[in-house]
Amino acid sequence: MDEIQRERSELQKTLQGKGERPGGSLQITRRTFLHKSVMTGAAGVATYGWFPLIGTLDFLVGQAGGPATAFKFAWISDNHLYPKEVNTRFVDKAVRAVKEVQAMKPAADFLIHGGDLAQLGDPVELDLGNEILKEVKIRKVFIPGEHDWYLDLGQKWTSLFGQPNWTFDHKGVRFVGLDTVSRGPDYWTAKKMSPKERMGHMATLDGSVAGSWAGVGRDQLQWLNQTLSSWPKDKPIVIFSHNPLYEYYPPWNFWVRDWREVHEVLRPYSNVTNIHGHTHQVLYNEIGKLRSIGMLATSWPWPYAPEGVPALTKCMVRADPGDFFDGVGYSRLTMNAASKIENEYVMWRKDTFAEAAVDSGCGDNVNQVLHPRIADQEWTYYGAYK
Amino acid sequence: MKTIRIGLIAAGVLVGSLLIVSSARAHKDKHTPQQLKAFEEVFMEQVRIGDLLFHGDDATAKKLNVQLSRTGMACAMCHPFGSDNHPHEFPKFQEQIGQFATLRDMINWCIEKPNEGVKIDSDSPAMKALEAYIYWSNRGSKLDPGRH
Repeated sequence: MDEIQRERSELQKTLQGKGERPGGSLQITRRTFLHKSVMTGAAGVATYGWFPLIGTLDFLVGQAGGPATAFKFAWISDNHLYPKEVNTRFVDKAVRAVKEVQAMKPAADFLIHGGDLAQLGDPVELDLGNEILKEVKIRKVFIPGEHDWYLDLGQKWTSLFGQPNWTFDHKGVRFVGLDTVSRGPDYWTAKKMSPKERMGHMATLDGSVAGSWAGVGRDQLQWLNQTLSSWPKDKPIVIFSHNPLYEYYPPWNFWVRDWREVHEVLRPYSNVTNIHGHTHQVLYNEIGKLRSIGMLATSWPWPYAPEGVPALTKCMVRADPGDFFDGVGYSRLTMNAASKIENEYVMWRKDTFAEAAVDSGCGDNVNQVLHPRIADQEWTYYGAYK
Repeated sequence: MKTIRIGLIAAGVLVGSLLIVSSARAHKDKHTPQQLKAFEEVFMEQVRIGDLLFHGDDATAKKLNVQLSRTGMACAMCHPFGSDNHPHEFPKFQEQIGQFATLRDMINWCIEKPNEGVKIDSDSPAMKALEAYIYWSNRGSKLDPGRH
């Protein structure tokens, strides 16, 4: 059994006890039920063929403490902006998302920006992103992505957007923003890297130099524990993070390395939803009492990882690389008066979900065997993206 | 005229025979470990160069006189670990190109369209290195030409 399988089995054993599900009052809605049915083989596929799927995932959160007041919020992330003179394509898509969020009716109560506003952490890129986001007049909250952080270790980002972790209560829901990027191990000092080299390695998803940088960290875990301690155990909690709070695919940091500790802190709470970026794809997972929803990027879609795609995920369509608006977008989220949260993936071109295996992003990746790169492990070739 | 044609045929037969003999001789002796290591080194050097080009290394691109991107995008940004390249599925009808295509055709399409770079010669050192890296990173995948 390899390391990933061993960890996955440990995760299953520890968190997926008998009858363990997210939230005592969680109900699977018709649409979610339909997508689960697809996993069950030919009968499921037939069922899927008969019912049109809508690009939303619906679920109910706990009723304790009374129904929440209806409200909407929006998520935008992973814009990966370069300076305008290098790439206007990503700018155009970020502008489009921002305009559409501002035009939401009824208006969203707030926008969460989920990180990776910039591509290489350049102040020019962050300033550009900040200017674009000024179009949104509603409340905005921000968490950082690794691309925003590692040129100057967060100086510019924090000067624009403030503390990278925070919490607030809104209409019966406790919202928490986590910083999952700033606690990466120091891979630069011993190798005497320049800030640009440090950033370059961090910006390479499949690179080996930056290592397992995604994590919450002991201090922030303590802060999270304390932050939640005053909140009733069965009332809704929504945690925003750049990286998923479970182990999906560590080689691309599609996880946080201390996911076990995170789950330990969250274990007493029965209605926790994690909404995350970084993976640039449709994702849904439930582990123990925690449910996770992965958001789209506005820049480009990542392929599904060769292994570890959660079984509960109904994969998105294979993106057309010739169509820059395909496979990307943002999310509109609604909490209605019945405490029901709906996540609507706003993907600009094709249908969100694939209708046949041949069109599915994870149906398509089953016939490939992949191997990590090597050039960045050798000193003579050291320093891509200088 | 007839004499010239006979002469050309005879010359062709002679060259062909030499190649066959030489090729047969090349495999007559057992390979030494040093030879095998040298063969692998030649291949892996190309893999490394391809890896760097694939990950947007400017110095390598400059050395090979190619401009694979003008958008800041590198191949690996959409294809981490060489995923979603499916080199083992070529040749095939490639939807984006609208015709039957080889892996090299598709590499050039990606350079020209999403990356907005400059198409490279299909037998150039840069193309061979990119091909080496893409195949190497997908080694073990089942050969399945024509699969969409």
